[in-house]
Amino acid sequence: MTPSGSQPPRLLVKTLAVTFITVALLLVAVFVVVTVNVRDQVRQSVAASLESGQRIYAAVENRRQRELQSQAATLAENPTLKATIDTYAAEASTASPARLQLWLTTIDNELEKVAARVDSDALILADTHQATLAAAGRLGDRWPRGRPIALGGARAGETLDGVVRASGMLFRVVSVPLQLGDIPIGTLYLATNLDQRYAQELQSLANAQTAIVSDGLVVASTLPRQAASEFEASAASRQLDGTAQLDGESYAFRRLVQLGGTSFYALGSIDESSRSATRSAMRTLALIATGGLAIALVASFLLARMLSGPVGRLSASLAEAGRSPAGRVQLPLSGSSRELDTLTQTFNALMTSVANAEAQTQAAYTGSIRALATALDARDPYTAGHSERVSVLSVAIARALNLPPEDLEVIRLGALLHDIGKIGVPDAVLLKTGALSESEFDIIKQHPGAGARILRSVPFLVPHIPIVELHHERPDGRGYPHGLRGDEIPMHARIVHVADAYDAITSKRAYRNARPSGEALREIWRFAGTEFHAEVVGALATALPGVTSDTGELIVDAAEQLHA
Amino acid sequence: MLRRFTLGVCFAASTIAAGAQAPEPGTIAGHIKLTARVRAPLPANAYPSRSIGKHEAPATPEISNVVVYLKDPPFKGPLPVSRVELHQQNETFVPHVLAITRGSTVDFPNDDPFFHNVFSLSSAASFNLGRYPRGKSKQETFRKAGLVKVFCDIHSHMSASILVLDHPYFAIPNADGNYEIRNVPPGQYTIIGWHERVGERSAPVRVDAGRTVTMDLTVPVEDVP
Repeated sequence: MTPSGSQPPRLLVKTLAVTFITVALLLVAVFVVVTVNVRDQVRQSVAASLESGQRIYAAVENRRQRELQSQAATLAENPTLKATIDTYAAEASTASPARLQLWLTTIDNELEKVAARVDSDALILADTHQATLAAAGRLGDRWPRGRPIALGGARAGETLDGVVRASGMLFRVVSVPLQLGDIPIGTLYLATNLDQRYAQELQSLANAQTAIVSDGLVVASTLPRQAASEFEASAASRQLDGTAQLDGESYAFRRLVQLGGTSFYALGSIDESSRSATRSAMRTLALIATGGLAIALVASFLLARMLSGPVGRLSASLAEAGRSPAGRVQLPLSGSSRELDTLTQTFNALMTSVANAEAQTQAAYTGSIRALATALDARDPYTAGHSERVSVLSVAIARALNLPPEDLEVIRLGALLHDIGKIGVPDAVLLKTGALSESEFDIIKQHPGAGARILRSVPFLVPHIPIVELHHERPDGRGYPHGLRGDEIPMHARIVHVADAYDAITSKRAYRNARPSGEALREIWRFAGTEFHAEVVGALATALPGVTSDTGELIVDAAEQLHA
Repeated sequence: MLRRFTLGVCFAASTIAAGAQAPEPGTIAGHIKLTARVRAPLPANAYPSRSIGKHEAPATPEISNVVVYLKDPPFKGPLPVSRVELHQQNETFVPHVLAITRGSTVDFPNDDPFFHNVFSLSSAASFNLGRYPRGKSKQETFRKAGLVKVFCDIHSHMSASILVLDHPYFAIPNADGNYEIRNVPPGQYTIIGWHERVGERSAPVRVDAGRTVTMDLTVPVEDVP
């Protein structure tokens, strides 16, 4: 595998991510829709509540005004008050100042008594010309004598009530006619100051925030200061109903009543009302979302496992197959999906053909090497079949030493090629029957190195190089080309060294006859520990009787020698 | 709202030659016409008038609430006095308007089966006769000229007006609206038509000896049938 970093994500993670993100997006979309929906419904319900608040307010306020009126009318049926008013009106221009003052004091006194029993900010008495005659009550001093009363709203005499501005204050007034029998002698006005307290009362009646707007100015309001001034500035304060954005909050508003230039508004904050609804919706959604996400997580994990499991197993099998090059790997069918099975089958077919091709290549190689070795052996009639025999014997020895099968294969080919370096030895030296000179022996000594160089150029033969290069090394260090000692010499080379010596002794040479196997064995035993490794020589002794049929000659030879 | 009271005055006829000494007195006569509704409808009110008891509209026609008199005429000699009754019937003072000479006495008999009271806060006469039951009567002599408004302190809707004058030259029109002021010394006068809801309206009038001056008045006051 390549190092992580540039590595693509695992299939499991990818599948998980895709499923999870889909579910998450779905939930977000649902959440947005629900939130918008909740806001919309809250807007409607706020508007509806304002509307019902308006109706309730209108009914309650109307009744309250009527009750005020009737209460005041009852209290105004005061003979002294009425007699004084009528007498004053008849003689206003003729009576003495003292007398006028007496009447006015009487009127004031009687009016105070009425005012004390009416729940009103001011009680104002107007004459038949609608001029203030007297005023009483908490804010009675706002109504100076003689001041005309102009009702804002419909024509006086046709409205139950109206709005009057007096001394910088705005009053809502209800009128009660004063009559002597059927003769009108004046009007009694009950004034309620449109102040903050009134706005508060209105708020509790209308069950909403309130604003009183007179001639474009907010005179009293339960709204926050900023929102109130924004409401004043906006066109909303001139409409019947609607919604307005005030101080960053969305309000639904509705006019409760309009009296002349003065309007009473009820306002409800949609945002504030929707907050709790939205919060509960959010809580429910959060619960659903958590559950949904958990289910999605589990489901996507299972799905991912289902999808990626077989692929992962296949991938692991492939990796396994990749590690055993020669093996004829056949992957089992997972049965999880048709595509994966097809993939497995294709891979298996591919692997079969690859294995076949590899076997053919191996066979071709082996054949060529064998041919090469045979050709080499053929240069000297006395060494014909030498390489083949050494190979067979080496494998037998290795088997006796319980070496693993891979080593046997390496030894088989390596032994076959052990003398390949002799290609570079001239015939004059190689085929010389007499004793070799120093320099001639030096040439002979070069053949393991030459063989190693030849093999190095073929990657396929690299594992056999130690056999070729070191098959003339001796445990006592007197071998060539490197003079290695004991354990420094690889096992393969030791085996081939022994097998090579055995075959040389048991073969006929120009300068001597072939010697029997037993003698050869004895000869080799003599040098065990010095020229040969002792355990290999032991293995040779063990292996010799069991050499297979294709070395029949050898067996016969060995048997002969032993019997002799 | 009360309509403005207009007194249309026209002199239909005039003058006889003035006598030298002790001139023969003349007469002013005319017709009062009520033209508009002054008994104003109640201002819009969800509630009826808060009068107590079921009393009918006053029996007195509206025309009887008008007093026609001369303004400050010279009068020599003792002023004739009279004694008149102002009844309390069905929670109403009857008649509603009375004109008398200074020094006259008014009796206030109670005809209703319950207590009544008579009082006044006016400059010309401030008095309170107290409360008294049916059949009893109390009296008051008016010694000062002027308008005296009379009320009942038990029934706040009751009122009456007594016009006390320094001379006998006044009249209250009859049911047909005709009036007559007799024995007026010849001369130039200001004649006044007075109605309690609109106050005084005046016009000049010349009276010649032995003649009758006809003066018709149109008053924007209408009687309710």
